[in-house]
Amino acid sequence: MIVGEEVKDINVKVPEDSYDTGKYMPTFSAYIIAIVRDSMGRVINVHRQRSHSPTANFMGLFLPLNWYGSSSNSFTLTNATGGTYKYTPSLGQFAMNITYPSVDGYPTYLIGIQVGSGQQTNTFNVHNLADPIANGSGVGQLVYGSPSVSTGVSVSGSSAYIYIMQTFTNQSGGAISVTELGIMVAVQTGEASWGSTTNCGNLLVWYDVLSSPISVPNGGSVTIYYTFTVNP
Amino acid sequence: MVAPDAVSEEDIDKLIIPDELPDEPTFKAYIEAKVYDKEGHIIQYHKQPMRSLTQYFLALMSIPLIGTFQGSSNYTATGILTNTLGLPSQVSVYAYTPNISWQWSIQVGSGTQTFSPTLNSLAAPIPNGTAVGDLLYGAIGVTYTATAIYIVESVSNNTGNTINVTEIGLQCTIYLQYQNPSNVYAVNTYNFLLSYDTFSTAISIPAGGMAAFQIVISFTG
Repeated sequence: MIVGEEVKDINVKVPEDSYDTGKYMPTFSAYIIAIVRDSMGRVINVHRQRSHSPTANFMGLFLPLNWYGSSSNSFTLTNATGGTYKYTPSLGQFAMNITYPSVDGYPTYLIGIQVGSGQQTNTFNVHNLADPIANGSGVGQLVYGSPSVSTGVSVSGSSAYIYIMQTFTNQSGGAISVTELGIMVAVQTGEASWGSTTNCGNLLVWYDVLSSPISVPNGGSVTIYYTFTVNP
Repeated sequence: MVAPDAVSEEDIDKLIIPDELPDEPTFKAYIEAKVYDKEGHIIQYHKQPMRSLTQYFLALMSIPLIGTFQGSSNYTATGILTNTLGLPSQVSVYAYTPNISWQWSIQVGSGTQTFSPTLNSLAAPIPNGTAVGDLLYGAIGVTYTATAIYIVESVSNNTGNTINVTEIGLQCTIYLQYQNPSNVYAVNTYNFLLSYDTFSTAISIPAGGMAAFQIVISFTG
C-alpha cells in the first residue's frame, strides 16, 4: 500500500513481476501442430511449437468500438497485395463494420492457412508470407485442402479451445520445405442501412516462422493445426 | 522425430493442445487497481495477473481469425458464433448487409465464485449508482499500443460507506446492425463476460473516494 504518493509510470508496460504466486500461469496460449505423413499415410514427423504472432491486421479487427470512438481513431488494414483500407467501425445506420451473414451478402470468411518457404522477422507488421507456396501440383507447390474449424468452443474443466486445421498434399515430384505459415481471412465491411460495401481483400491476421523447417516428402502431406486456448 | 506406425486420430486430438512447450507464452494479461481517498491521494495500489479468460473471449477472437461467414459462398455464420455466442446463423433483412461490432466494459463486484469458462456474469455485480452498495461508473477508456490493449474504468463511491471490491470482469457487448424486413434500421445486442477474476486482496474504496481499474491484455507478438 502506498499512502499519499502518486505511483509513477504504472501504465507504461506489462510488468514482468506482477505475479501474485510463485508460478506464472498464462491465461491464453496458441500452438502450431504439424503432422507430416509419407506417401503411405504413415506419420513421419510431428512438429509442435508455440504460436506467437498476431499481426497488426488482427489487432485492428479485434479492438473494440471504445477505441475507435474515443478519439475518432481509425486503423489501416493492409491486405496481402499491399492494398490499404481505413477501418473505422462504429454504431449507426451508416457505420462500415465487418459484414454478417444474411440471405445473400458480402462474406467475411476464412481463406485458410497459408504456408510458405521463406521467413521474415518483423512478424507484427507483415501482411503476407515472405515466400508463399502456391496451391498446385507443379514444382515447389502444395495442393491446399479446405480449411476446417471448430464448430464451437470446446470446454474442458477450466480450459477451452478452438482450432483451425488444414491439410497440404505434395504432388510436386520432390520434397518441399515449409518454414513459415499464417492465417488469411477475406474481410468485407458494409453499411447496415444504405448498402455501401468495401472489399478489404485477403488479410493476414496471424503469422509464424517455424522453429525448424518441415519437410513434406513427395506423395506425402502435412496437416497443420492452429490451436487457440484459454487457461491451458 | 520418426514414428514408424501411424498415429491414431485419438492421439492426434491430444496433440493439438500440448501439455508443455518451451519458449515464452503468447499472451500476458494483468489487472491493476488504484484507490484514491476523497482528497485524491492514492491509498491502495494493487496489481495481479489475469488468469481467467472465458470461452466468449475465444469466440470473440474468432471473428478476426476466421471471419463471420462459413465460406465464400456459404452465407451462414460460423459455428463458433452460433453455438457459443448464440448469434443467429443469418439475419433477416429488407436489403443491404448486416454488420457486427463490439464494445468492452469493466464490471466490478463484491462476491466470489469458482471460475468456469462458461461464466457469463459476476457473482455479485456492484450496480451503477449512488445508493447503498452502489458505485458510480465513469466512462470506459480503451487505449492501444502495438500488441497491448489497455482498458480502464473509474468508479466513485458516493454512498457514505466503504465498499469492498472482490471480483472483476471484462464484459463485451456485441452489436448486430441491420435493416429489418420492415425496412427499419435495427440493432440487436448480446452481452458476454470475456474474463473473470477475483482479487487476491479486496479493493477497499472509502466513502467519497474513487478507484481506477485497469485490465491490460498483451499479445507478446
